[in-house]
Amino acid sequence: MSFSLKRVYAIFNKDIKDVSKNMFVLSTVIMPIILAFVFTQSEQVPLGTHYFIINLTFVSITVFVQGAIIAEEKEKNTLRGLMMSPATTIEIITGKSGLSALLTVISLVACMRITGYEFVNEPAIYFAFFMSLILYLAMGTLLGLLTRTVMEASLVLMPLLFVFGMGTLLLEFIANYPNLAFLEYLPNYQLQFLAETVNAGQAFTDVIGYLIVIAAWMVILCILTVVVYRKRVIDGK
Amino acid sequence: MDNILSVKALKQVFSKETAIDNMNFEVKRGEIFGFLGPSGAGKTTTIKILTGQLHPTSGSALLFDVPSTKMNHPKYLKKIGVMTDNSGLYSRLSVYDNLHLYCELYSVENKRKRIDEVLEMVNLIDVKSKIVSKLSKGMLQRVTLSRALLHEPELLFLDEPTSALDPANSRHIHHGLQELNRKGTTIFLTTHDMQEAELLCDRVAFLNNGKVQLLDEPSKLRRKYSDDTLTVELVGGERRILKNGPEGAQKMYEYMSNNQVITMYSNEPTLGDIFVDVTGRSLL
Repeated sequence: MSFSLKRVYAIFNKDIKDVSKNMFVLSTVIMPIILAFVFTQSEQVPLGTHYFIINLTFVSITVFVQGAIIAEEKEKNTLRGLMMSPATTIEIITGKSGLSALLTVISLVACMRITGYEFVNEPAIYFAFFMSLILYLAMGTLLGLLTRTVMEASLVLMPLLFVFGMGTLLLEFIANYPNLAFLEYLPNYQLQFLAETVNAGQAFTDVIGYLIVIAAWMVILCILTVVVYRKRVIDGK
Repeated sequence: MDNILSVKALKQVFSKETAIDNMNFEVKRGEIFGFLGPSGAGKTTTIKILTGQLHPTSGSALLFDVPSTKMNHPKYLKKIGVMTDNSGLYSRLSVYDNLHLYCELYSVENKRKRIDEVLEMVNLIDVKSKIVSKLSKGMLQRVTLSRALLHEPELLFLDEPTSALDPANSRHIHHGLQELNRKGTTIFLTTHDMQEAELLCDRVAFLNNGKVQLLDEPSKLRRKYSDDTLTVELVGGERRILKNGPEGAQKMYEYMSNNQVITMYSNEPTLGDIFVDVTGRSLL
């Protein structure tokens, strides 16, 4: 199957022009940055707080912006035009993910600069961040494909924001309920555990387990996204 | 002429409702094929099946000798152009930006020139830089049509292409479509505008309740359903209906010899009349 960077870039370029005039999406991007400013008021920002902001950025920007972009394409029947063009599934999904990925990276860098977070043992963390970015992009694409309008996508985002974005706060809650221990396998907690392990000076081999769980999330969500997208191509809507 | 499209025993059922039932027809390469029927007759569902947006419950549709279910492969999507009511445009972008995106997706060469050409064809060159959200419904329809033409498809599917247009713009589009057809594009046109069908189509199929009820050239259909009569309007306003044959000819000779004829016309039915005759339904 061919892959055309020109087509991917055309879709990405279109999204930049389109979203630059979309205040609803743009205003969402500022939220984690404001939160980062609020948390820098305390002298020492704990690691849990850094990852609370990082995970919130993934959900509120990566998932929401991606979901909103896809849901709007569906709402306005423009996704059908892309599906009916010679662009392949992978080209469309990659092109449609470019803007959300760019906004996520900018926001993450801005938030980390504000809160003063610095990576230790960079390769493991970079790798985990990269996989998290892909999995949250896939989650956002799914959100957009499974909802009919931007408004519906915003509503469905709320529980996702609670489960995937409220890291530290939920961890304390989970500790009191052993039955909810499985929630620790969510990718946001795995990312935080990985960072804690790395910060404690452990070796790369000690974080492999976390990387595998995050990778599993990434693979499952990517497969689900492609399956749902291909079903949408022939749903006749 | 070979067939570019061939439909056999096509059936589409949604839940328990049959939208298309045992549909059979063929479209010849290079013709303008009219698919006529009232709202809800199954026109749009048929286009969705033919363009790979929907897989049929049973039966088959072959385009370029390839099953319609394989049509959403990029190789085949380049050969078809589709304009339906679900072809949306990016409302925050200009007309030019919308078309430019599709030029990139279809790898169209000389993009600016081609965009100007298609906009000329739909009479919208003056609004090239205008934001889509500022356009009227008729203009939006024309931009969508121009988008379907960008890559010069071999087979063009048009779902009610002039339904929101005024007569002048409809005429402009009709000329454009005839010109496109002369250059070799096969056009599959759904409409409930019988005048449009008479003007453009080489052959028409009447669709009712998901079935093709009748299929032929418009002129042949009119002759077939004609009652072989002529109306003659005489001096004084009197109208006479004359039957084809010696008796009618004799009467006509008399009227003409006495300078009584003001006007006369054939009583051939319109496609709309035939549709009502065959299906018992009106087209709206």
